[in-house]
Amino acid sequence: MVGQTEKPPDPRWAWAAYEPDADRPWNLAQAGHLYRRAAFGANWEQLQQALSDGPQRTIDKLLRPQAETAQFNRTYDEYEAATGSVDQLRAWWLRRMIQTPHPLQEKMTLFWHSHFATNAAAVKNARLMQQHVGLLRGQALGSFRILLKGILQDPAVLLWLGAEANRKASPNENLARTIMETFTLGPDHCTENDIRNAARAFTGWFVLRSKLRYISREHDNGEKQILGRSGNFARDDVTRIILEQPATSRRLVQRLYRWLISETAGPDEALILPLAESFATDYDVLKLVETMLRSNLFFSPAAYRRRIKSPAEFALGIVKALEGTVSTTQLANDLADLGQNLYNPPTVKGWAGGQHWINSTAILARQNLASALLRGSGPYGDKLNPWGIAQKHGCATPESAQSFLLDLFLQGSFGPDVNDALLKTRGRQDDDGGGRTRSLAHAIVTLAEFHLA
Amino acid sequence: MSLKFGSLLTLVLAFFVLQSVAAGQTMPAATQWIPGDAVISLELAQPKVLLDLLAGKKASAFVKALPAYQEQASKPQFQQFLAILGYMESELGTDWRRALARLTGGGITLAICPEETVILIVDAEDEQLLKRFGEMLLEMARSEAEKKGQPGRVASTQYRDVTAWTFDGKEAHAIIGKRLVMASRPEGLKAVLELRAETWGDNLASKKDYRAAKRQLSRGGDNAVATVFADLKLLMQAPNIAGLLKQQGENPLAALAFAGIVEAMRDSNWLGLGLAIEDQTLICRASVDGETVARTSPASFALPKEPGEGALPNLIVPRRIAAFTLYRDLHQFYAAKDDLFPERTSGLIFFENMMGIFFSGRDLTNEVLAQTRPEIRFVVAEQQFDPAIGTPIVKLPAFAMILRLRDEEQFDEVFEEAWQKAIGLVNFTRGQQAMPGLIIDRPIHNDTKLTVAYFSTAEIEDKTELAQRFNIRPSLVMPGDYLVLSSTDSLARDIIDALGREIERTVKPLAQTHSLLELEGVQLASILQANRQTLVRGDMVKKGSTQEEAEAGIDLLITLAKLLESLKLSIGMHEGTTEAGLEIKLNL
Repeated sequence: MVGQTEKPPDPRWAWAAYEPDADRPWNLAQAGHLYRRAAFGANWEQLQQALSDGPQRTIDKLLRPQAETAQFNRTYDEYEAATGSVDQLRAWWLRRMIQTPHPLQEKMTLFWHSHFATNAAAVKNARLMQQHVGLLRGQALGSFRILLKGILQDPAVLLWLGAEANRKASPNENLARTIMETFTLGPDHCTENDIRNAARAFTGWFVLRSKLRYISREHDNGEKQILGRSGNFARDDVTRIILEQPATSRRLVQRLYRWLISETAGPDEALILPLAESFATDYDVLKLVETMLRSNLFFSPAAYRRRIKSPAEFALGIVKALEGTVSTTQLANDLADLGQNLYNPPTVKGWAGGQHWINSTAILARQNLASALLRGSGPYGDKLNPWGIAQKHGCATPESAQSFLLDLFLQGSFGPDVNDALLKTRGRQDDDGGGRTRSLAHAIVTLAEFHLA
Repeated sequence: MSLKFGSLLTLVLAFFVLQSVAAGQTMPAATQWIPGDAVISLELAQPKVLLDLLAGKKASAFVKALPAYQEQASKPQFQQFLAILGYMESELGTDWRRALARLTGGGITLAICPEETVILIVDAEDEQLLKRFGEMLLEMARSEAEKKGQPGRVASTQYRDVTAWTFDGKEAHAIIGKRLVMASRPEGLKAVLELRAETWGDNLASKKDYRAAKRQLSRGGDNAVATVFADLKLLMQAPNIAGLLKQQGENPLAALAFAGIVEAMRDSNWLGLGLAIEDQTLICRASVDGETVARTSPASFALPKEPGEGALPNLIVPRRIAAFTLYRDLHQFYAAKDDLFPERTSGLIFFENMMGIFFSGRDLTNEVLAQTRPEIRFVVAEQQFDPAIGTPIVKLPAFAMILRLRDEEQFDEVFEEAWQKAIGLVNFTRGQQAMPGLIIDRPIHNDTKLTVAYFSTAEIEDKTELAQRFNIRPSLVMPGDYLVLSSTDSLARDIIDALGREIERTVKPLAQTHSLLELEGVQLASILQANRQTLVRGDMVKKGSTQEEAEAGIDLLITLAKLLESLKLSIGMHEGTTEAGLEIKLNL
């Protein structure tokens, strides 16, 4: 790992590919860091394989997995199509996050779910919400251009924004405002006039009986002025004009920076610029994500544990490490109680994230959730077995399980104070290790470090 | 012998509970050694009969054919279990079935006493075998304790001339002649030994309520293979049970469904259960000593008024899964609502407002419910779907409620109007949400007009995986003085036919029976099978199971449903007390 830098890093160095050396070795901590950001955590085999493969090959696998992702997604699409409720969709999505051979795709789907925040309670149609998240998944690492076009044609988004009837006589400004101020340019890069004219360009589009329909007589064919351009613009023209604005790519790179690199401070403009310029050429999300994940900056202290895990990342980090699958119906409810109700982002701006995830109540609730997951009884049953996993990977005693679990969950070396504190964590002394190891696992995942991604 | 000794002990206890016979010849009845404050006691008087049914050839073949059994059998732990079983058989010099029969042949008595004390008394037929068995367990326990470096775990003491043993300092047991006595706490065994020496208080057998329960149960003959006695006064003090009974007074539907039952339980000192086995049918009879609800009680709406009155027999329709028939005077029930469920919940207020709209301002109690007779029936049946109309992906059963009217000529149109208003309201609400509504049709079946409402599938291309709403085709029919509300027109037609047959036979009520539930296992298995994929998927996300685990669980459920040929639960009155009967016919 590089030494701590006070001044903003040089963009050329920052975005150049990381190559391990004696000062910045590829180790368990770096592998764990990569899996926390590009997935929902890792199990022991994945961490060991990453150590053996090195960073670039591990990133290759995360970006373009060899496994049959398409078949996996088809199967889960079928499962979801058969459900009739958003509650079931939430459960299946969480299960998909746990089981998927392409966790980065799900991680990015979650990113877009917060970016294009659409709330199922307002849409009131599970099928449309399934299609909406399917759209996000389909382009999660694809083309932002296609994704944005898809969003503008998505009945769920239109229903959520109250834009199911875009009449010539009453253009829906809420849709245009959200697209420009929240989804793309940002509030300081468009005027009220731009928004009014964009709304006119969107007229003629309706959601009727859950389907998008175009009624040409309701389209405003007059001339519009949008972001300095004039013409008889329609919906696709607005998309094109928005994507031509440098502010769009800059804003998206900034948001992705917060998601993948660090959310502690806004990135320096000079640092963002090269990526924004490159992104604006083709809006290829995969390429942008790849650049960030392979970069020196990603593997530097400026990124290490510089994000607070969302409730989903926190819980799935435990589940993935312990190689289990738990009741995702229950987990979806528990995550909702922690503030991350999948399919129901709180506002059009999505989840604020960062420090907003944490307060004294939330910490207590996270401890309770960890306890429920690791207890071995109750709603999650005994699906997660830390002692079983420790034994599987060669630990014969609860003492050896302690160091194994520290490596598995935190991948960090800790001072004797942390180790001593953990040693005081005792389960029943007369058991075979199961109870003690559960208590120990709970103590580890409730350490402050585990709440950081 | 690496299987944990604790598990083995549990297993042995489980075996004991499956077996037993009449008390040893020279011993007093086991219940004379059970403390009089026992809350619940179970006596297995004829364990061989139970063993023949549950561990006989047919049952063994059934269990061995279960996928779950085959999965377990392939695991190393199962092989370890078989090895221990083989060792025990060789030590005892006989196979496990015979050993079990001889070890428990005198009967099994299990009692749950205060302070979480459980006492188990097993009477063997063969004293020598019991001794050998005790020594073998002792040897295994010692070996296990030494392996753990805790030889002190196995300890003995003399009390009242009896050697009492403990394997972990918590449980305690002793062998006295042909009798094995075990207790979950040393205090439990101590109490038994005091009762044996007649130096302590009352025993269960001398308790007045226990004797009364036994007398009541023996009225049906002495063929009970098992009996249960529960001290309701003590049991009702348990917070969970008290809370459950309290809930009944807060929920109008629970008050309606369980009327008479809860009151009887509340007013009783004891509950007695007797189990008899006839061929492959388990017959269970339950009695309590509380008198039936007084005529002046708010809950008396569930009491048949005259000796010949009672619920009507259940209707028989094709593909019937379950049927439920009740005797409930709805007019009397709703007139007593302020006493039965005093809290005016928002749900109740909404219900009354809606009824006011549907019945055009008529008074629900005196002008609507007063028109209904007390015989109420419910039917649940599996649906058959016409591929031309479409098949839902989740196949829900159809269900219907059948009422009888006092003055059908006056009331038919009132109800028809209310029904059409309700359908109209549904359609209006769905229309507001841009969702398709129901289309009303009025076909005729056997001279009876149906009012059917349905969702059209005409515009749907793929009719093989329809949404759940296509399970519903709400229908109203009023043949003769009957009023039928059905979730589908198909079931409504079957009910018209069934009622036609009933009218021809002039069916008699089930005298003094106020509730009767019947369940058909094969049909239940059929609908589970039809929804297997949905259930498996539901299990995967609900329990976090793998697909294979979920499939095994659902398949086991289907197999168990098939095992249950039929179930019949009736509740009524007999000589002033409440009685319940349960018949379970097995399909072995």
